[in-house]
Amino acid sequence: MVFADLFFLYFFLPVCLLAYFISKKIETRNTVLIVFSLIFYAWGEPTYFFLLIFVALVNWYFGLCVGRCKNTANAKAAVAVAVVIDILLLVIFKYSGFIVQNVNSLFRSSIPVPDISLPIGISFFTFQAISYIIDCYWQTVEPQQSFKKFLLYISLFPQLVAGPIVRYSVVSSEIDKRRSTASDISEGSMRVIVGLAKKVIVANNLYAIVTQFFGNDISNLSFLGTWYTVIAYSLYVYFDFSGYSDIAIGLGRIFGFHFNENFNYPFICKSISEFWQRWHISLSTFFRDYLFYAPILGKPRKYVNLFLVWFCTGMWHGAEWNFIFWGLYFGLFIFMETKIGKKRMKKWPLWFSHIYSKLVIVIGFGIFYFSDIGQLGKFFMNISGISMLTNGNSFADIVTWNSFLNNIFLFAIAIIISMPLLPKLKYFFFKWGNNTVYTTGKILGTIGCVYLLIMSSILLVDATNNPFLYFRF
Amino acid sequence: MEKKPAPHTPPKKRFNSYKRSIIRHFSSVISLLVLIPVFALISVFLLVFPHSTISYIEKRELTKFPEFTFDGYFSGAFTSGITKYYDDTVPYRDDFKNIGNSFKANFGIKTNDSVSVKGKLTAAKNKDKKPTQQTESSASDNEKTKPNNESSKNTVEESAQKDYTKENAEYTVENGIIVVNQDGHYRALEMFGGGTGNAYVDALNKFRSQIDDKVKVYSMIAPLASEYYTPANYSYASANQKEYFDDIASRLDKGITSVDIDSVLAKHTEENIYLRTDHHWTPLGAYYAARTFADAAGVNFKDINTFKKETIAGFVGTMYAFTGDINIKNDSEDFTYYVPDNNDKCTTYYYDTSFNYNSSGNFFNEVGDPQSNAYMTFMGGDEQIVKIKTNVKNNRKLLIIKDSYGNAEPAYYTNSFEEIYVVDMRYFDLNLVDFTEQMNITDVLFTMVTFSAFGDNAENLDNLITQAKGNVIKDTADSEENSVSASD
Repeated sequence: MVFADLFFLYFFLPVCLLAYFISKKIETRNTVLIVFSLIFYAWGEPTYFFLLIFVALVNWYFGLCVGRCKNTANAKAAVAVAVVIDILLLVIFKYSGFIVQNVNSLFRSSIPVPDISLPIGISFFTFQAISYIIDCYWQTVEPQQSFKKFLLYISLFPQLVAGPIVRYSVVSSEIDKRRSTASDISEGSMRVIVGLAKKVIVANNLYAIVTQFFGNDISNLSFLGTWYTVIAYSLYVYFDFSGYSDIAIGLGRIFGFHFNENFNYPFICKSISEFWQRWHISLSTFFRDYLFYAPILGKPRKYVNLFLVWFCTGMWHGAEWNFIFWGLYFGLFIFMETKIGKKRMKKWPLWFSHIYSKLVIVIGFGIFYFSDIGQLGKFFMNISGISMLTNGNSFADIVTWNSFLNNIFLFAIAIIISMPLLPKLKYFFFKWGNNTVYTTGKILGTIGCVYLLIMSSILLVDATNNPFLYFRF
Repeated sequence: MEKKPAPHTPPKKRFNSYKRSIIRHFSSVISLLVLIPVFALISVFLLVFPHSTISYIEKRELTKFPEFTFDGYFSGAFTSGITKYYDDTVPYRDDFKNIGNSFKANFGIKTNDSVSVKGKLTAAKNKDKKPTQQTESSASDNEKTKPNNESSKNTVEESAQKDYTKENAEYTVENGIIVVNQDGHYRALEMFGGGTGNAYVDALNKFRSQIDDKVKVYSMIAPLASEYYTPANYSYASANQKEYFDDIASRLDKGITSVDIDSVLAKHTEENIYLRTDHHWTPLGAYYAARTFADAAGVNFKDINTFKKETIAGFVGTMYAFTGDINIKNDSEDFTYYVPDNNDKCTTYYYDTSFNYNSSGNFFNEVGDPQSNAYMTFMGGDEQIVKIKTNVKNNRKLLIIKDSYGNAEPAYYTNSFEEIYVVDMRYFDLNLVDFTEQMNITDVLFTMVTFSAFGDNAENLDNLITQAKGNVIKDTADSEENSVSASD
């Protein structure tokens, strides 16, 4: 099931909410959430459903083992076995086709390429499981004794299929004890609606622009046309994914869970390191915590680890070379930034920092988009202006200009929302203002949300196919 | 230096935290009292109201509730089928779609490269040019028009008309289709990006080489509306179709007559020769093409004034679904078609794609929801073989191999041929050479739009010539009629 879908929003969700809020006891509520989460997953993956249960069982069991033999070699062995199983599952279900293809082309062998469809959300729930088991080993969390509660953590439907990657420590106490206050429910709902609008109103329509220009052969796309489309694509990815995270966080909030933020206005960053502190935070912190300090040949090696992290970050996004390039590309800039040093970078003029970081990010999304390496090459020729010389591509073209004018308000809205103006407004209403201002702000927000909900729902009627981008991962 | 006080500390505390938490709770409750009913109402509306079953905008039946099978369940098809059913059959679906499209129209501003003054200037310049164009075109027209063609005598309208491709116009682009505003109306145009036409040329030449020399073969490709209505400020995006047609004509076997309708239609641009809201031409556009073909074939042809005019008002075609542009929907048009005066004396036989007789009746059909399906009036669709028996006796039998553009033509030929066979290039299971020979066809007309001749449809033409070779083809309509009359 997808969030931006009428069936989910207006059938699955209301039934789930009814069942949840009718039950009073936390145990019953947990049962309701598990049942609905499993239905949610089995709806899209009737067979891989068992894989999800298997992952939960294995990690729960080894978590218990780790807990029972704290500080011994057995604990180490248990955590190693569990992590290896998790990674192995990920490799089998996500990368086996890619690996075999590359082995075949490298050694000219003809091993049959396994045809395994990617289980939805596998990259997310295996990572959650890995974070849990390592945290158990580090004793930052207590192993969960009850399988039911552990299954709830792994399968909780708001974050199950496309993140954020929620740490066990964040929700462990809320599994046993949580309340949904009126403000939790109202703010959670508003968050869901805002996320939905980001996806349906902004992201889907930005994507229409992207397919118009990047959907076909891009050999003859003009210089400005390439820039225009790749900027639209960057905005699209942000709105698609952060919209999804908003819905996940909002739904969690309705049920009384407080997940961490996954995006923090990434486009206002002044460096690439800062970008990754603001973009897909749950993934970058995962790699920071569990891989960046991992010992390699006995001890952590700063730069080797850095590139390993970025190789894995790229690889995590998909079994394609362009994703690996994409990760390493960012790794390279972060490497350069650490070499230059934070202090010296701070002395850069503000405009320069912004232009530098936006350029790197936007071109990065070009790499992210083109999984066809041939097309990616053409993209670089176009965006650098080389194809104007070699292929006679034009500098600008009227189709781009028209598309821009036809969508100028969409772009304006997208750029405004990707800057932290709304939180400032909220701050004004909720922290500064007196009670009247506060109430007015809340009412205005509610009216705005009703409008967004109705508009998004209407646009969903026409959206025959609008999967979230991060379902691929 | 001393630290400045944080700029955001409020000058004084206007509230105590307890009171604020009460207010916070209170306003959250109010907000929920609004949000929950809205949410519940939409949920109930989607669940309880009768679900739509067809979309008139998209011209399709909507998804049905899936049947449960174990295979279907484990493949995920059953559950995804339910989601699809729920999403697809929303009550009042088409209305919501229209609202959504109106909403999306606000995302930007209409493109208008030319300031209005500039637009007028170019129009004025065109007017200066017009006299020369007129003489040119009327001269060429006279050359082509055969004396046996009655209609050419009363073609008062055969003067050069406005060349829309020389003027700028306001337009938007949706899904690669441009929507222009010309003469106060919106018109959707599909662009032609070019192509080799090899499949078309090869297939027609192959066909020509395999059939009797006495059989005449014609090629008549209809241009897309973009040939005439692409504004000057978008002209770079559309290839000149005439050049492509001329290229095809030059590569076709000498035994194939190329019928140039591109330059004929160019003289009628101010008339309704193309539907503005659909991807087809109008029956009037097809009439000018048919007349040109009749000239080339040297057959009798009746003027359109002798036909009975029928009009379906409020027609909105496929272009609304393709572009989602609400302007198209709000600017519906008349669909006017022409019924020949000998229609009662003609019988139309309908066969399946393997030439098994199904039924007989009228060439013109009443269609469900004519406001969006008007073009189906002709024979009711494409996936069939059709034969029209006329009251003409001249030993000429016409075979039309066409795409849906060709559907608008046959009625105009009912005064020109004894029998007219209509075959769709996409739906024909017999061998075209066998069919031509065994049905004693004297004239074969390939007629289709640019996209078909230069696109995937043309790839299928070779199949028609090679497939199912050497079979005896029986006209099952004859035997059925005989058996009916025998049993009488």
